[in-house]
Amino acid sequence: MMAGLRSSCVALWRTGLARNTWTLGVWLLLSALLLWYATLIPVFGQFQVTSISKNSLPLVYLAIGQAIIVIAGGIDLSLGALLLLTNALAARFMDDQPFAMVLFIAIVLIAGLGILNALVGYIISVSGVPDIVVTLATGYIWSGFALWILPSPGGGTAPEFRWLFTGAQSGIGGTYVMPILMMAVPAILVFLLSRHTRLGLSIYAIGSDSVAARLAGLDVRRAKVSSYAIGGAMAALAGLATVALTGTGDPRFSVGANATLNSVAAVVLGGVALVGGTGLVLGAVAAGVILIMLNPILSAMGIDPNNAQIIQGLLIAGVMMVGGLVTLLRERSA
Amino acid sequence: MKFQPTRLTVLTLLLTLALALTACVAVAPESGDDAMMEEEGGFVVGVSNTLVGNGWREQMICAIKAEATASGLVDSVVVVNRNGGPTEQIADLEGLISQGVDAIILNPTDREGLNAVIESAIAQGIVVVAVDQAVTAEGAYVATNDQTAYARLGAEWLFEQLGGSGKVVEMRGIDGVPADTDRHNGFNEALANYPDIEVVASTFTGWDPSTGAQQALDLITTQEIDGIWTSGIDYSVVEQFQVADVDFVPIVGADNNGFVEQLIQLADAGLIGAAVTNPPAIGAVGMAIALDALTGENPPHETILTPKVFTTTDPDALNAIYAPDEQVGWSTYVDIEPYTSYNGSADVSACTAPGE
Repeated sequence: MMAGLRSSCVALWRTGLARNTWTLGVWLLLSALLLWYATLIPVFGQFQVTSISKNSLPLVYLAIGQAIIVIAGGIDLSLGALLLLTNALAARFMDDQPFAMVLFIAIVLIAGLGILNALVGYIISVSGVPDIVVTLATGYIWSGFALWILPSPGGGTAPEFRWLFTGAQSGIGGTYVMPILMMAVPAILVFLLSRHTRLGLSIYAIGSDSVAARLAGLDVRRAKVSSYAIGGAMAALAGLATVALTGTGDPRFSVGANATLNSVAAVVLGGVALVGGTGLVLGAVAAGVILIMLNPILSAMGIDPNNAQIIQGLLIAGVMMVGGLVTLLRERSA
Repeated sequence: MKFQPTRLTVLTLLLTLALALTACVAVAPESGDDAMMEEEGGFVVGVSNTLVGNGWREQMICAIKAEATASGLVDSVVVVNRNGGPTEQIADLEGLISQGVDAIILNPTDREGLNAVIESAIAQGIVVVAVDQAVTAEGAYVATNDQTAYARLGAEWLFEQLGGSGKVVEMRGIDGVPADTDRHNGFNEALANYPDIEVVASTFTGWDPSTGAQQALDLITTQEIDGIWTSGIDYSVVEQFQVADVDFVPIVGADNNGFVEQLIQLADAGLIGAAVTNPPAIGAVGMAIALDALTGENPPHETILTPKVFTTTDPDALNAIYAPDEQVGWSTYVDIEPYTSYNGSADVSACTAPGE
């Protein structure tokens, strides 16, 4: 009895360590990359930190949303399209509006896309059609809507709204306080929600083993729908960040498709296994920043741009394989 | 095997450090005036492009590199080249600023969306040149091809060829793209002066040779047509006349190598046509302007290139720009007086920046 308890405690401690070491490792990798980048360029100061943190915002938000959905055992290939849809809606309706109105639109969009994606989660849960199929389809639909709302690049937003995400009303030259705050607050909120609330723990539970979770009396559907709602809200936040960064809207399909792929890459790199039930949101946050930093680093190293794309692809593929291997080993040892 | 790259990296790092230290020691005793003298040349130029795998854009980048090499004033060219929109380009431009480049040449994704980052670069003493498409940023240099004139000059030549009356086809690019809108306006400007010219069909080729070819085949086999104006989808249209065994009609295209070759070789078979230039070497023009600005020559802030028209009536001029070694899609008009200092298509095609 005691021995059994002890061994399960050890196993728990081990998986806990494995989970947290990955997260810790990703943050260490990010710190190392930052230090390395600082040596590659002549000056590393406020401008660079602000630049990296604000440019990371869309991918980090998307990675947080994707992480929660993946932890719950799903995957959402429509997140990039939801970003696109928010971008188009925000740029179209925020143009020439006062800040108060812009904020109101932003809140409506976050809530609205949360509800919209909750509906998608509900459909997946009820129909039993795989997540990947349903979200692939809805992704095309949202991309189409985005083009319908904003047929060509344009629109705008309030300067104060740009300050909120970038620290400057023109979108450049501000301090890093606002972008880092805008990154940290949602990240920590979702992290706390996922680890310290009943809902968060049930999200982990259904991702780990949905049958066992149901037998244990958890409301599997509620947890699933909630994870998609958080994903949708985070995608909306990402779309708002893109409008704040550029001050315009850009409804091109490729933008959304790239964003989706990067969000999956960030989640895997962040230590959230695609089988669900493991990993921490905070790992995906660091991974998102790393993926954004790769471009300036490779460029500062003087690597030919065509090779840079290959290296970036290889890195993502390599990390995904390592992630898969770790999961496999974990499953074998369990 | 596993440790070799790490050792190499450490060695390189140490070597660089040592070199940097030596350089510091060597430079330190020099006076301010000497430092000013050294400003001439040794420039680092950043390039930002956000459409990868497009022939025209690749040639634009090669022209920038070739001009950098030919000028002798540039130490290195840093190209940031990936698919993306304004979000990615802002990040790329900030990366170039962080690298401490002396000048940035960009093909902008947005007319206004990049202004803040461009103005921030200018405020830090970086020369910024937008090529191909304009930006409205304060203090930026802009070098573009005149798209309205591109269409107007070609259309005027065509309407003259037809003696001011006949049925023509307008084969456009992509609906809604600024260059296509400008060209359509130019086409209509020319049309207004020729009341007896009738536009019997207007198509969107998407600037795709195979799409344009199919549309041309459908048109020439079903309708009576006296002339064709194309927005640069030209050689595949000419091929359809041969495929369908229909007599050639006067045709306007761009300075694509394949089209120029046809204009030379099919002249005896009755092909009459005009190649209007839309040079990707505008990138090299941008490089020349950037270097002028860096060396204190105060170039004008706006440079608009008026297209040249090469026609079958002047085969010598066509032969001069024809580049037998290049692909059909190669833009043959690469030497732009007085800006470029490299020598012809071969230099551009080599695509080597200083130090490469």
